[in-house]
Amino acid sequence: MKRFKIFALPWWILHVVMTVFFFWLGHAVRF
Amino acid sequence: MTARTYVKTMLLCALVSLAFGGLLLHLRIHPVSQNPSNLVAPVAGILSIVVVPFLFSRKNLVEYGYVLNGMLVIVGTITMTHFSLARWSVPATFETVVLKTLLADISLLWGNFFVGKALFDLEFFGYDPSREKKGKTWRYPNLGWWIAHLVAISAVYYAGHVLWR
Repeated sequence: MKRFKIFALPWWILHVVMTVFFFWLGHAVRF
Repeated sequence: MTARTYVKTMLLCALVSLAFGGLLLHLRIHPVSQNPSNLVAPVAGILSIVVVPFLFSRKNLVEYGYVLNGMLVIVGTITMTHFSLARWSVPATFETVVLKTLLADISLLWGNFFVGKALFDLEFFGYDPSREKKGKTWRYPNLGWWIAHLVAISAVYYAGHVLWR
């Protein structure tokens, strides 16, 4: 199996972007 | 048609069927017009029905499909758990927790995840019945990696919910 390089974006950029997104999602979703 | 193509097609049908069912359930139970937060489900549903099967169907994009499918399942799990907690029955009994929360829906959603996992594993590990499973549990693409991401994303989501009002 090849070593997985999931996205073309660097690992840390992906994690920063997704962290901001999920932080915002937690803020935005109100039940 | 090879067995590989056939099984892949069946799994893609299962994936679309599950996602389509989930989308229809969401639209029926809580329309978007009632609460903007209800938009999360249809957006995730449309991504699951259109984008994820497309990514899984292209050999060079299978990994993207696998990650997107898993992330959508995590988002669904977190938001449905949040929904259940927001409408928590008091006093909580075994019956109310099992039957009055979204446990059933979350369980169905994980069916979607495991179909995606099967698609991914078939693509990368093939059909060799004697092939042993290798690799560390906590590393991508194994299940431990998903558990770690479920925990971490839940923490970030919770922080956003509590700290940003």
